[in-house]
Amino acid sequence: MTDTIIWTIVILAGLGLLLALLLYFIAQKFKVVEDPRIDEVEKALPGANCGGCGYAGCRDFAATSVNDEGLTRHFCPVGGNEVMKKVSAILGYTIEEKAPQVAVLRCNGSCEVRPVVNEYDGVKSCKVKASLYSGDTMCPYGCLGCGDCVAACRFGALAMDPATGLPVVDETKCTACGACVKACPKNLIELRNKGPRGMRMVVECRNNDKGPAARKACGNACIGCGICVKTCTHDAIVLENNLAYIDFTKCKLCRECEAVCPTGAIHGINFPKPLDKDAVKARIAERNKAAAAAKAAAAATAVKPEAKEEAK
Amino acid sequence: MNRKTFSIGGIHPADSKFAADRPIEVLPLPDKVYVSMSQCLGAPSKPIVAVGDKVLAGQVLAEPGGFIGAFVHSPVSGTVKAIGPGKDLAGNRITQIEIDVEGDEWAPGIDLSPELVTELPDDRQVILDKIKAAGVVGLGGATFPTHVKLNPAPPAKAEALLINGSECEPFLTSDYRLMLERPSEIVVGAALMQKALGGPVCYICIEDNKPKAIESMQKAIDSLPYKDILVQPLKKKYPQGGEKQLIDAVMHRQVKSGALPISEGAVVQNATTSFAVYEAVQKNKPLVSNIMTITGNCLPVESQHNCLFRIGVPLSFIAEWAGGVPEKAAKIISGGPMMGKAIANLDAATVKGSSSLLYLSEEVTRRRPEQQCIRCGRCSDACPMGLEPFLLNKLYLAGGREEELEKNAAQDCIECGCCLYSCPAGIPLLDNVRQAKVQVMGIIRARAAAAKAAAEAAKNKN
Repeated sequence: MTDTIIWTIVILAGLGLLLALLLYFIAQKFKVVEDPRIDEVEKALPGANCGGCGYAGCRDFAATSVNDEGLTRHFCPVGGNEVMKKVSAILGYTIEEKAPQVAVLRCNGSCEVRPVVNEYDGVKSCKVKASLYSGDTMCPYGCLGCGDCVAACRFGALAMDPATGLPVVDETKCTACGACVKACPKNLIELRNKGPRGMRMVVECRNNDKGPAARKACGNACIGCGICVKTCTHDAIVLENNLAYIDFTKCKLCRECEAVCPTGAIHGINFPKPLDKDAVKARIAERNKAAAAAKAAAAATAVKPEAKEEAK
Repeated sequence: MNRKTFSIGGIHPADSKFAADRPIEVLPLPDKVYVSMSQCLGAPSKPIVAVGDKVLAGQVLAEPGGFIGAFVHSPVSGTVKAIGPGKDLAGNRITQIEIDVEGDEWAPGIDLSPELVTELPDDRQVILDKIKAAGVVGLGGATFPTHVKLNPAPPAKAEALLINGSECEPFLTSDYRLMLERPSEIVVGAALMQKALGGPVCYICIEDNKPKAIESMQKAIDSLPYKDILVQPLKKKYPQGGEKQLIDAVMHRQVKSGALPISEGAVVQNATTSFAVYEAVQKNKPLVSNIMTITGNCLPVESQHNCLFRIGVPLSFIAEWAGGVPEKAAKIISGGPMMGKAIANLDAATVKGSSSLLYLSEEVTRRRPEQQCIRCGRCSDACPMGLEPFLLNKLYLAGGREEELEKNAAQDCIECGCCLYSCPAGIPLLDNVRQAKVQVMGIIRARAAAAKAAAEAAKNKN
């Protein structure tokens, strides 16, 4: 009886050992050599697999970055500079720091200012709606309000505001992965630099129609009047196709454009104090006056010598 | 009577041809017309007139914007007021020419007499040139330039010309009225196209719910001296008027995925297009008018109309002429109830392809609440292209499955709406499949572009 038990144990143990050895040698023979840095890089990444970097996921990002010659083609928008520093330390590359970005909606056509003129009864999808017609308001450029961007966001950073009918970006959650930018059929979402302490200026409109048509469609529309372009002292605003656009790399956050905009299409975001429009307007008026005076003086000095000659 | 129909799928929506007994009336001219530059499938046309120019009816306003494009003519005589942006019936931006109407003086050389000209030109090139110069496009809905279709690139050869008079969409009666009132012109137009194609057999295809049209066309054929033109009665089934369905019904041939009808030796032209071809070739009259049905389920029969309108007349003017928009109308559609487009902007102008103004009430247009798919398979049974709409819908909603969508032939969808009509769960199949089709067409196009680039790169290397 005892013999049987002992033999069984010995045979099974021996068989196990033999098979283990066999597996070990096979594993050695057919080993796939993988760069160990891929794992390290992947561990350093946030692991959101959002595809915001342009690769199929974090693992793909790691694998391609290890085989690449530098990190110019790789940037993880979710992890930002911190993660990229870690990655570059692992791979031994130097990187340029990028300014953190955030998704910004370029439409402010809330239900109040942009009346609904027909009822949409189809699928609740902006893509489908945009393929059928220009939308249920007079503005063919504005937000369709079906929330494709909200569905595309993997970080819960977007939500529809029922009061305005527009999506709202939660800046603490937004990672600037760009999924919403691709999801919006009207191209209303843009990734912009967060700016110092999150402050930035945005033209919240994409209406390319001429002034009267744009105004008729939406009370908050940019009418392309160009006052902001004339006022801006930093050359940060361009007017194209009846629409102003603020270049965030040039903007110095003086908020003068916001003060002069007649329709309220330009908005300052995350400023600590509300804008005192009259004070800013007074400042601009004074500056214009001074400029006009300087110009007049210059003109006067230019004219004077001739006048003197004539007097002689 | 040997009635034929297509072999797979199809549905039987209620006929609802309420305006069938209303004769074609001529619409008066408005004060202003707006001629759109996007009147046909393909590139938008390029204006060749300037603001302030005096134009005559039938004068060329714009040239084709590409190989697939058509001339656009002035529908009225007057002064060009503006050339600029406008909105089409979906509210999307287009370029349009605004003309102040000053009368109805026609350009010289256009024959406006009602006499029938039965003698055909000898040269097929003359016919094609005249059709091209007159800006004739397919009036069945797709507005594909007719001269391109009638001039297939060799070695393709037309074996049959199908004149589509099936008008399978419910409510619409414009083709029917034309077949009753101007059958001889349609037959001469068919003979012209037959000649342009090199003499294939011509079938005038009419569904059996229009016996009077069948009789009228038969009479016209008997009274005219042309050979090989026959009336082909069809069993009523939607979407019989679809090009591929019609070829299947009459010739028992299946057009392959991605191929054109000419690959099976068929050319399909609408009955109204045939009429336009007659006017273009025999009367030198360009395509500046079309027939529109004003109908609906909430419109009394006495205010339903079939009218001959000039292209560019605003839809609101037609609605006003016909007695205003009925109060019960919840949805206004341009085209039939199955494939037509909802009108978001009634101020938009009519285009060459406008065929109806359809008022539908709340009860029939409101979407049913969406429920779960119960896998009944009705959508697959109804699909005339043999697709599986429920599967395409699921793949589309899953996202990023373009290759599987292509394998399941989402690109073959003809957007007839049979799946949506037959779904008992109210699932918006068509809306999603249409998006899937766009995605698949995108990857097919990208692949073709990549192949072209690769071929060019290889060429440069050598």
